[in-house]
Amino acid sequence: MEALLADVQRLTRPRTAVITGEHSLPVLPGLRELLPGGGLARGSVITVPEVGLLLLALAAAASAEGAWCALAGVQEAGVLAAADLGLCPERTLLTPHLGPHWPQVVSSLADGCEIVIVRPPTAAPAQLRRRMEAGLRRAGGVLLVAGEWPGAQLQLRVLRREWSGLSDGRGRLRACRAEVGGYGRGAAGRPQTSWLWLPAEDGAVRPAAPPEISTPLRVVRAG
Amino acid sequence: MSGRAGTNRERVMVMSCPDVDAEGFGRLVALVNAYCPRVESVRLGICAFGSRGPARYFGGEQALGGKLIAATESAGFACRIGVADGLFAALLAAATTGTSAAPAAATTGTSAAPAAAPAAATTGTSAAPAAAPAGAAPAAAPDGAAVTVVPAGGTAGFLAGQPVSVLDDAELAGLLARLGIRTLGDLAALPADSVASRFGEAGETAHRLARGEQRRPLAASAPPADLAVADEFDPPHELAEPVVFAAKGLAERFHAGLAARGVTCVRVEVEVTWADGRPSRRLWRHDGLLTAVQVADRVRWQLDGGGPAGTPEKQDAEGGGIARLRLVPDQVVRAAGRQLALWGDEVVADKVARAAMRVQALLGHDAVLRPVRSGGRTVRDQMQPVPFGEDLAPKLATDQPWPGRIPGPAPAVVYPEPKPARVSDAAGGPVTVSGRCVMSGIPAELSLDGEPELSVTGWAGPWPLAQRWWDPPSASREARFQLVTDDGRAWLATVRAGAWQIEAGYW
Repeated sequence: MEALLADVQRLTRPRTAVITGEHSLPVLPGLRELLPGGGLARGSVITVPEVGLLLLALAAAASAEGAWCALAGVQEAGVLAAADLGLCPERTLLTPHLGPHWPQVVSSLADGCEIVIVRPPTAAPAQLRRRMEAGLRRAGGVLLVAGEWPGAQLQLRVLRREWSGLSDGRGRLRACRAEVGGYGRGAAGRPQTSWLWLPAEDGAVRPAAPPEISTPLRVVRAG
Repeated sequence: MSGRAGTNRERVMVMSCPDVDAEGFGRLVALVNAYCPRVESVRLGICAFGSRGPARYFGGEQALGGKLIAATESAGFACRIGVADGLFAALLAAATTGTSAAPAAATTGTSAAPAAAPAAATTGTSAAPAAAPAGAAPAAAPDGAAVTVVPAGGTAGFLAGQPVSVLDDAELAGLLARLGIRTLGDLAALPADSVASRFGEAGETAHRLARGEQRRPLAASAPPADLAVADEFDPPHELAEPVVFAAKGLAERFHAGLAARGVTCVRVEVEVTWADGRPSRRLWRHDGLLTAVQVADRVRWQLDGGGPAGTPEKQDAEGGGIARLRLVPDQVVRAAGRQLALWGDEVVADKVARAAMRVQALLGHDAVLRPVRSGGRTVRDQMQPVPFGEDLAPKLATDQPWPGRIPGPAPAVVYPEPKPARVSDAAGGPVTVSGRCVMSGIPAELSLDGEPELSVTGWAGPWPLAQRWWDPPSASREARFQLVTDDGRAWLATVRAGAWQIEAGYW
């Protein structure tokens, strides 16, 4: 009986255990270059100015490998798009409205989830931020902030993007090539930019070749 | 318990079926339930219920008893019925009745023995009737009818003739007999305070019973006390929300307690006690089907007073807040089926559940959601949030093709409410779409709240979508577009009833 119970417990245990203890959480291969250490360092804060695919893509690989992810105060996050990148909806919590005590809510979520994506409804005072960061380090989670977070280890931003696939009335959106820049503190200090398919036509995120510089064609008259 | 018992003179009908096993007794109670909704199982083989209402409905206590005897007899039970003021007298009345199926047995000592044995098993019932008076059945109808009715107000007289040995406290009964107090009538004639000072609590209880008062009010479908769970709130909660939250944890404990015994309850009684001591009790159907969250919902309904059962409770702020919440199982039955799926759902890790419930405690049950992939054509339909702790079944079938979905990458930004927008052509006039999806011009400018004026560099559409035309309230007809603007972003726009809206964004 004991053995059976142990078996049941082992089999029903969530796969979170797979990635506990690692120094960083995995990210999609296409994003590795942008992140110092090639992953989301546990206990760190990463900012992206706006809610978008880049923000969601950061959480996708870790979620696919068993991490729990909370989306706090980002009602408009497209979970479907995130799920297409690998985010596991079964291991996702949504807290659309944070209320006035949002730091407490975010801290609570960070105690349970490895990744918390948050858009702070109000600017947090430095003291509160430091307390949340300390809690984050203790829990070994990662805070992905849509917006500003002074003291963030890394800031990522889409510098420019270009959709392809549709023209005047025809076609549909197929793929987006985007240039993403990363600016960080300390070891991550060196600014880094890279071109990504965000997403590629098959829905994945992967490195892209920079677009060819389109110089206007000069008309050369022969002879 | 005994404090409120004194004056409560309820007409109680007791049905006794001594030779029944646990399973048969369950069937018996179910049979009786067809006549009276609330049946208390006194102990194995004996059930009791308030007879006032049912008797009025069925045309008198004798008639009700006759119906019950007929019903149980045809199901193969040999039952006896007694009616009196209060449970104790009714039990005695039933014990003195001739058995319906075997009237001859009633007058022999054997029929009383089974009733006596379980009596000892009921803990703390120091003064329940121990045995029928041997061989004596003075109140039984001469023809051996199975129903003994002690008329209202006649209980004291009925009891007066009973020997003190019917009290199932052998020590007290022996002592009383040696003192020359041989019948309950003798005991009842003594002054209450003298009995109390001489014989203590047991004597006091016996004295009350002898006077025809109740040891305790009838608790319909008496639940095993240790299956009830309660939470005290100190200080009392002024608001409903924390109580509802506590109810969820309490319900989990409640269910665990039931499950540990392999039983479930037909109904659960939610008892909310205000700080001023005023209780609110309501029975809710359970059938072993409710989840902890659903039990918490019922607590909320009860507190809101908006529950389906009707009478509004007082607002929680009155009465100094809520001091105590108690869940009591009503009609405990053997649990059959409905096991937790071992391999099915993704099991929520403990720490995640704790985190989610903490946030729910702060913001309310609906504040923490889990997305569920669902069917449907629009991006909003395809991922539907479900409150944490509830069933994760998709609302729309996921295994259907859902033609009309926009192919390609899903938008990373989906506005909870579509944003009103304005799309104009190169001349500055609004772009309109006719019922046949004919556009009045080429989109050139997009303006919406919170964004600078954007010029449209690419577009596709219109793709018509007419949904649920058979159901006017939810029917929708719209034309959908994808727009790319000069800042590199792309938008999912719809035209519904002539108005442009931005549903989602791709960036």
